[in-house]
Amino acid sequence: MNNILAVASVVIKELYRRKDFYVLYILTVLICLIMASVNLFHDVHIVRYLKEICLLFIWICSLVIAITTAARQIPSERENRTLFPLLAKPLSRTQLLLGKFLGCWLACGLALICFYLFFGALAASREHHWPLLNYLQAGLLHWVMLAVVIAFTLLGSLVFAAPSSNATITFVLVAFILLLGRHLNKVALQLPEPRRSILYGLYYCIPHLELFDVRDLIIHNWPPIAWPVCGVAALYALAYASALLIGACLVFRRKAIN
Amino acid sequence: MPTVQNSAATAQKSGAAARDIIAIEHLRVEYPTRQRGQKTKPAVKDLTLSVRAGEVFGFLGPNGAGKTTTMNVLLGFTNATGGNACLFGTDVREPISRQRIGYLPELTYYYKFLTSEELLRFYARIFGIPKPDRERRIDNVLKLVELEQARKRQIKTYSKGMMQRVGLAQSLINDPELLILDEPTSGLDPVGRMKVREIIQRLKDEGKTVFFSSHELGEVETICDRVAILNQGELKLEGRVSDLADQYHLNLEQIFLKVIGYQPRS
Amino acid sequence: MRSTKLPLLILLGLLVLCFGLAAWLDLWFQTWQGNRTQSADVLSVLMGDSRRMFANHFFVKADAYFHSGFYPTVFDNREAFRTPHMAEDSGTVGGQNEGDEKGFLGKPRDWIDALSRQFFPARHTHLDQGGASGDLGDSSQVREIMPWLRLSAELNPNDIRTYTVAAYWLRERMGKVAEAEQFLREGLRENPDSYEIMYELGRVYSENRNDQARARNLWEASLRQWQRQEAPKSDPDKFLFIQIVSHLALFEEKQGHYPQALAYMELWKARSPGPDAVQKFIDDILHKMASPAPAPAAPPLQPPGQAP
Repeated sequence: MNNILAVASVVIKELYRRKDFYVLYILTVLICLIMASVNLFHDVHIVRYLKEICLLFIWICSLVIAITTAARQIPSERENRTLFPLLAKPLSRTQLLLGKFLGCWLACGLALICFYLFFGALAASREHHWPLLNYLQAGLLHWVMLAVVIAFTLLGSLVFAAPSSNATITFVLVAFILLLGRHLNKVALQLPEPRRSILYGLYYCIPHLELFDVRDLIIHNWPPIAWPVCGVAALYALAYASALLIGACLVFRRKAIN
Repeated sequence: MPTVQNSAATAQKSGAAARDIIAIEHLRVEYPTRQRGQKTKPAVKDLTLSVRAGEVFGFLGPNGAGKTTTMNVLLGFTNATGGNACLFGTDVREPISRQRIGYLPELTYYYKFLTSEELLRFYARIFGIPKPDRERRIDNVLKLVELEQARKRQIKTYSKGMMQRVGLAQSLINDPELLILDEPTSGLDPVGRMKVREIIQRLKDEGKTVFFSSHELGEVETICDRVAILNQGELKLEGRVSDLADQYHLNLEQIFLKVIGYQPRS
Repeated sequence: MRSTKLPLLILLGLLVLCFGLAAWLDLWFQTWQGNRTQSADVLSVLMGDSRRMFANHFFVKADAYFHSGFYPTVFDNREAFRTPHMAEDSGTVGGQNEGDEKGFLGKPRDWIDALSRQFFPARHTHLDQGGASGDLGDSSQVREIMPWLRLSAELNPNDIRTYTVAAYWLRERMGKVAEAEQFLREGLRENPDSYEIMYELGRVYSENRNDQARARNLWEASLRQWQRQEAPKSDPDKFLFIQIVSHLALFEEKQGHYPQALAYMELWKARSPGPDAVQKFIDDILHKMASPAPAPAAPPLQPPGQAP
């Protein structure tokens, strides 16, 4: 565990020493503040469109950070040859991979805290109330979803040749699942066999990341979700993340690294 | 029923094995190839080699001889196709076998966004060095490689020589009993090379084992106790430097060229 | 010295030349018939005709906001949402909705579907009835649809319903009469012949400004436009025609101009889906016309020295 945490701490350091996070954060803040300055029929209490724009940017930025950070971990270690002095230590490949996963996940968690704090401040400036429980729930679900994305990207970094192709494929898949994952069963039921079974099979196989997208509930001030239900969703995500990580570990153990 | 002779032979073998820091037996490494008529290409063929505790061992050979491949097997980067290799009696596939070694790669690249102090702290943590000892060791190795002034600067600001010294520092952070060096003086100026030689000598005086590959045969002749010469994946020659000199009546460079079958034009 | 000054001078000269050329060409470009800067609209230039598609998308988004996010996607049964409810409730467009607006999702098809319904809005609400909070007395949240209506109007100024729907909610629930009027006038500038906007402006003057004369003028103008644009069509916009003539009829009746009121009511009856109800109004007016108006009541006698 000590080795895993050591590797994770290096990943976190990398995130806050690179410029990616700061650029995305400042971009989000700037755009949201510009949107907030728009005069809409002289009403200063209109807030939901701001919340939607802010949350949209938070989701896009968090996915960019998660995918690009995870996609470059192993390939850049190989390319920069930092992998060799690392693996020459009493550190197994499994520990290295788990450390990279944990580091990316924790780093994304820290980034999410910064983003959601800004979001909370922006919303509170107009709504004058702060539904902490709702925001906490949304942030936790978002973070848990990123675990699946990061695990998938890490697996992809071992399978695909270049980090750019891995990142592109992951982005496309994640966008597909977020936009269409919920509706695959409806489409499947309208198709004849065997396409119905194939699509329904795909529907059951993919990780339903859209479950964790509770932006509409936050934007429109719906009550928080029951915590047991959140727990089930979190377990669902962690199951997928674990399966993907196990796959990644198996691939990494067999992979020639030089 | 074990006989006295068998027991003695077993004791001798286990005793020898206990003294062998590196033990390689019938090692075979093959890489897949796209050449016609050949599915795999052997990089190392049936290599048997041992390095005893406390000696400085030179691992020589022309480019493509299989030196780096052998080192990669010892360090767990590559899986052997056949045979086995052990460090301190532990199979090299176990991560714990690398607990007592230090490794300096030929090309030294480290995390550019870390400072040298942070890098050493990271590696020390992987070795499981307790926190109080960690800081003391970091101070010692940074002093040894003369990087104290630059310890708080990020590695991306370092020169090549400083990177090499960082590499040396990280290979010594756990006070290793075996140091594996892959062309340690490559790219260094004469002063840098001298300092590396001094460090190797100091380690030898402390009873540590050093296993290194190099193309600088003059240096190897000076500091090594034993050498092995590889060519095309096969072990061609192994023995004490002095014994080889006496046997061939040639210097190490000439022995090397003779063993690999190099014929000068003149 | 000479070698550093010369390039700088050349650069300066080029800058002056470029500036002069730009100033000269700009005048010519403004008068050029083919230029698109006549619209003076960055969005039109950038997006072309696709802005109408986005405008419609944002109009529907406003309706989604009206429902606090509970809205059918393209994969769901949208029969109950053909006409956006925010438009239907505003009374500015006729409704074409059928089916169950609360149950368009249907029963869960599998356990994932059932679980997912916990994670998005799954209850039918309207913002003017409290939205997700369910506080029926709170209609102020309807303000949240305004940004999308504003954006929709920016992208497609020729979509009349954006102006009429927004104006209704602005004046009725947000108390922003001036803003509603201004928005409608913006719409009228973009669409000078729009009978819908004229009618809605009339309502502003009638219901909020208490300027009945102006309201009547606007409704009459609206009726003229309708007769010019819609009457020749095989399927004219009956809904708004009925709104216009009914308002005119009731206005004239209040003013005591019974013949005029009758004329409007006849028009109303001709296109009404419920002519019997309109006939009752007509009968009322005929009755009023037949019986003389009662003499105004004499003021009560006051003792001297007391105020009336």
